[in-house]
Amino acid sequence: MTTTTEPGAAARVESAVREALALIQPAAAGLDGDADLTAEAGLDSVQVMDLIMEIEDRLDLSIPVETVAEARTVNELCAGILRLTVRA
Amino acid sequence: MSLFDKFATQRALQAALGGDGRVAALATPMDAVHSATSATINGRRVLLAGTNNYLGLTHDEACRAAAIAAIQTQGTGTTGSRMASGNYAGHRALERALAEAFGWPAGIVFSTGYQANLGMLSALAGPGDFLMVDADSHASIHDGCKLSAATTIRFRHNDPVDLDRRLARLGEDTRRTLVVVESLYSTLGDRAPLREILELTHRHGAWLLVDEAHSFGVFGDRGLGLCEELGLLAEVDFIVGTFSKSLGGVGGFCVSRHADLELLRMASRPYIFTASPAPPVIASTHQALRRVLAGADLRARLRAHSERFYREVAALGYKLGADTPGPVAALVFKRRESAQALWRGLLDAGIYTNLMIPPATPAGLSIVRISLSAAHSDEDVSRIIAALDGQIETLRVSAAAG
Repeated sequence: MTTTTEPGAAARVESAVREALALIQPAAAGLDGDADLTAEAGLDSVQVMDLIMEIEDRLDLSIPVETVAEARTVNELCAGILRLTVRA
Repeated sequence: MSLFDKFATQRALQAALGGDGRVAALATPMDAVHSATSATINGRRVLLAGTNNYLGLTHDEACRAAAIAAIQTQGTGTTGSRMASGNYAGHRALERALAEAFGWPAGIVFSTGYQANLGMLSALAGPGDFLMVDADSHASIHDGCKLSAATTIRFRHNDPVDLDRRLARLGEDTRRTLVVVESLYSTLGDRAPLREILELTHRHGAWLLVDEAHSFGVFGDRGLGLCEELGLLAEVDFIVGTFSKSLGGVGGFCVSRHADLELLRMASRPYIFTASPAPPVIASTHQALRRVLAGADLRARLRAHSERFYREVAALGYKLGADTPGPVAALVFKRRESAQALWRGLLDAGIYTNLMIPPATPAGLSIVRISLSAAHSDEDVSRIIAALDGQIETLRVSAAAG
């Protein structure tokens, strides 16, 4: 797959994820990028779903459940979402 | 490191919900069940108000007689899949009867309601297809998505605007997109805006599957569900239902206006790789279906109970999960302890209900769910309401209202 991303796409995705995280779980706003979303950020399955919907609204795209299931950390989630924006 | 380490949350919940030697709030042990509305729990007779037995047909005399007759002539089980030795005349007759009730060409019976969703979603949507599901869907829908090779996208609960936006993003791919909703959501008792969802699904060229698990038997002139009541049967693509609510058995089905539904028999793993329903289940379900189709009397009774219950319970000050009265009445609380105290207080007063807690519930709510039945008498409904009245003070003290 060719990966010519628009400039700043990665930063845009990460800031959307951070904003959404701060809203859903304020205590986890400054979470390390490699920290586990469920174990360390303490998000339960419903909160993860709410988090995804907040991110979707901010980026105006739909994030498949499979993309979320594969991501255990903030960094992995950002990478998965970035791949979606490239494909589109 | 143990395989059981990951269940720390469950271990804590188990202790919190029943570790004090009292009757457990989850998986409550029933000593004996006496009728559609009566059981013995912990040595005491209780009134059942949390069973999804909306029409009370588990104990209908003709349904029981049909099951007994089927055991006498066909035995207790089929010991085989529908694809092998388990394809009896009774299974095929029930499928025809279900399809004919809807005026549609095809119907498939599954061994459980869970498998009906699992089998439909996983087979119908394959690689390159899309499943667009309501975020508050039943586990069987989410699990069907997991088993499918399609891409799954969730939309906000009962939000046609959000669904519209997501379908628009898919462009041409909407033609290979299945939208999945429930007509009546069983946790809060709220209904999907089916007319809007159907209109925009088809405007985008997508397909619609409606799960009528909790509405089949209850709504519509012939009891076919909310799609019938709203006059949408000519347009909906697939309807899934269960035998284990209004029909009083166990099993599930899908009917469709597309004759090609038949092809799924060759592709749906949850349909193929399991034993077919036992003869007594098929026989009682078929008899129950006849009763449902001619069951305007039962539906009128249930509707009267629901309307009265919603009105009087709201007047007591309880917060309900839905505005429109229906057979599911969810009393919602922010604090688990409040819901738990009410559940226990009702059981002590001789009323069995359901306790539902996060993460199995939407928006972190804790819920005492009451399901009404046509088998309840007016006095039964009065008893439930009186018991709820009696708990108001306890709740106020225990939680300053949650």
